[in-house]
Amino acid sequence: MNMHAQPQRTHAETALIDAFVERFSYLPGNEAVIRRRDDAVERLKAGLPTRRVEAWHYTDLRRLLSTVPMHDPAVGAKPLPALLQGSTVLPVLNGVAAHAPRIDGVTVTRLEQKLMDGSVAQAMACDDAADVIAPLNAAFVTDGWFLDIGEGVAVDGPIELQNVQAGGQAHVRFPVRIGAGAKATIVERQSGNGDALVSSVSHLTVGEGAEIVWILLQEQPVGATQLGQFNAVLGKDAKLTLFVMNTGGKLVRQEIKVDAAGEGAVFNLRGVNLLTGDSHTDVTMVLDHSAPNTTSSEIIRNVVTGRARGVFQGQIRVDRLAQKTDAKMACNTLLLSDDGEFSAKPELEIFADDVACGHGATVTEIDRNHLFYLMARGVPEKEARGLLVKAFVAEVIEGLEDEPLIAALEAKLEAWFATNV
Amino acid sequence: MPAVQETIEQVRKIDVDQYKYGFETVIEMDKAPKGLSEDTIRFISAKKDEPEWMLEWRLSAYRRWLTLEEPTWARVDYPKIDFQDIHYYAAPKSTPGPTSLDEVDPELLKVYAKLGIPLREQEILAGVQKPAAAADDLDEANDNGAAPRRVAVDAVFDSVSVVTTFKKELAKAGVIFCSISEAIREHPELLKKYLGSVVPVSDNYYATLNSAVFTDGSFVFVPKGVRCPMELSTYFRINEKNTGQFERTLIIAEEGAYVSYLEGCTAPQRDENQLHAAVVELIALDDAEIKYSTVQNWYPGDKDGKGGIYNFVTKRGDCRGDRSKISWTQVETGSAITWKYPSCILRGDDSRGEFYSIAVSNGHQQVDSGTKMIHLGKNTSSRIISKGISAGKSNNTYRGQVSAHRKATNARNFTQCDSLLIGNDCGAHTVPYIEAKNATAQFEHEATTSKISEDQLFYVMQRGIPEEEAVALIVGGFVREVIQELPMEFAVEAQKLIGISLEGSVG
Repeated sequence: MNMHAQPQRTHAETALIDAFVERFSYLPGNEAVIRRRDDAVERLKAGLPTRRVEAWHYTDLRRLLSTVPMHDPAVGAKPLPALLQGSTVLPVLNGVAAHAPRIDGVTVTRLEQKLMDGSVAQAMACDDAADVIAPLNAAFVTDGWFLDIGEGVAVDGPIELQNVQAGGQAHVRFPVRIGAGAKATIVERQSGNGDALVSSVSHLTVGEGAEIVWILLQEQPVGATQLGQFNAVLGKDAKLTLFVMNTGGKLVRQEIKVDAAGEGAVFNLRGVNLLTGDSHTDVTMVLDHSAPNTTSSEIIRNVVTGRARGVFQGQIRVDRLAQKTDAKMACNTLLLSDDGEFSAKPELEIFADDVACGHGATVTEIDRNHLFYLMARGVPEKEARGLLVKAFVAEVIEGLEDEPLIAALEAKLEAWFATNV
Repeated sequence: MPAVQETIEQVRKIDVDQYKYGFETVIEMDKAPKGLSEDTIRFISAKKDEPEWMLEWRLSAYRRWLTLEEPTWARVDYPKIDFQDIHYYAAPKSTPGPTSLDEVDPELLKVYAKLGIPLREQEILAGVQKPAAAADDLDEANDNGAAPRRVAVDAVFDSVSVVTTFKKELAKAGVIFCSISEAIREHPELLKKYLGSVVPVSDNYYATLNSAVFTDGSFVFVPKGVRCPMELSTYFRINEKNTGQFERTLIIAEEGAYVSYLEGCTAPQRDENQLHAAVVELIALDDAEIKYSTVQNWYPGDKDGKGGIYNFVTKRGDCRGDRSKISWTQVETGSAITWKYPSCILRGDDSRGEFYSIAVSNGHQQVDSGTKMIHLGKNTSSRIISKGISAGKSNNTYRGQVSAHRKATNARNFTQCDSLLIGNDCGAHTVPYIEAKNATAQFEHEATTSKISEDQLFYVMQRGIPEEEAVALIVGGFVREVIQELPMEFAVEAQKLIGISLEGSVG
């Protein structure tokens, strides 16, 4: 008996392959891109990963991805009001980038154009055998935005990338090149209505000494499936702060792959996952420290209610060259419901002997002593609980050091708490 | 902070080329032909004079094993094992089975004397290695009140138990301590009830293989309300070439019983790799406690990674009863490859599991070890303390799972794992799996650079002690936390590790 015999394709696996056959002639791209798409769909034919694939241990995609809606060109998606005042909004609506506004010092190009001329073909290769999001996206990607931020440019006001869906399927990409010494705040929104299947892949190359703040807000409706992948390579002394907030979706997997490749690079990740209903939300990070004197810190806070299931996998890999690495990771979870679940796998893989690496992970309910303290001061139990949960999450947001941003995110937080806790 | 000199020297002292137990003994052996088939299993079963049900049990395991594939998820790398190139049974010809010491081949007794294992009931294992000559002295000593602590030993040599000491005295207390082969013949009702009840036959690839071909190991049964009057110990020795050792140990503590059990293991220095695939099952009923300690010192291979034991072990304890407790303590310095996760199933309400481990890897050793704490009952708690030290070209991985099931109200876990790297060619890895399905569960996992708090360091230095010494002092005390869990007899063996400081540890 061969345990690895190709099992029968699931409904979703078949639907994905059928969708490719159906959509193929409408997908933009030159010959090089078409080759990449063909390679990618071959990967999909091998089947979706099960929990036997270590990277998908807690998210059995083969079982969880039950239905795949077909692409529907007729659905109308509308752009969202910007999160922050003074933002330049770059929307992608139902898989089509709308119009390209001018931003000083930044070259903005529709991804469709880069698919037609083949200049993104190289980046569509998927080397990692366990990677599913990249091949899925490479097979179907239609549009997105390419940003090229010039050397030394301090971008005036935030740039907001929006991917808005109203059902159906959409696959978008955001390659971003950040020149040496440039500075920018970029907001990425993943949102919509209806039961869509969305994949979104970003690729950042951060030049020497550049400083980037990237805010990723995933606010999909309860029926949507969101498969996201955020990739970044940091140059010498580059600094990237990534804030990820997940508040929606039925099946969400957000991968974060960062390589601190330049000496002195700094990476900070702050994550807030607010899970409710039947949502399955997985945040998986792989962080490489491949140069000396690189620094990273990750704080992930999760609140689980209802029958939601949350997953955090964080892997920090320290290369033998990466001496004096300083890496710290924490994942804290408040499990508020007996039907909820949370699984964490904070991994360290270390090959250098003079480093300071650590991780901590906790899963608890609300501290009774804190609750007692508040209630003893006349705060009703329900309110006291709400306060404590909010404080648990707000701590992560407050560290962002940008007042309008903090205010905007706290408003999102309030809105979620008002409907869910 | 890099490792301090003292640590480096201590690790050097137990480096692979310093292996002290690599001698080989020439003894005439009775072996099964090489290869694995139903005939091999029938051969083993016949040699052991086993009842029919045991043979059937083995054969069904073998058939199951044929359908399984070797697991590849562990962070270890080795050439494919040729399971047909191993002798599955090897026993000294002269041994007529576990019997009185006088009938045992003196050559065999010398082996144990050389290893410092007391088989004479009057000898005490106090960490002092007796010269070989001492084995000739056969006088029985009086058991007066002034005698030091005694240890009952089951000595397993390749595939058979050579001798088990203090059996009569233990029997007086109602404790059964014998080889598992003897237990299969003498206590079939207990074996049928408990064997395979913690590690099912089809649990995993190596456990299934073990179920088919296991040769010897120890059996311990402590009846209701009995506190085992002495430490029990098994000493495993692989001697013969081209053999695999398939140890099977089963320990049962009935209601309110207590037992402390220790195991030690060594093997000769050889260029070939040898397989040791063991299954250990512990069962603790209501209010019972089992303390299981291991000093694992299998031959680790030479400087270039040639030879050494492949240690693929399934160890699991089942806290079946309420308020039961199982504690695993291990000091791991040997083996070319270690693949071992002593686990606790916390089934009974208020039950408790503990895991204390120090794993030192050198040369080309690969260690992938850790524990599983499965919380099923209410108010269960567990504690994991793991220290990994890698040097040379070795890789040392902690892999652990802590999970609370839906009904495990108030489950508590504290995990701490630290590792230290010495040199730039080795790796240290931490892979914890934390799974909570109950809102009242409280899990804390910590893997930090250093457990030495600034306050402690300041306090010690402020009294005029230089920093490095202060660090060594604090860390020494810290590692002792694990060492102290070992019974006194083995703590001596583990003593050379105490000096190792972990101040520059990485999580």
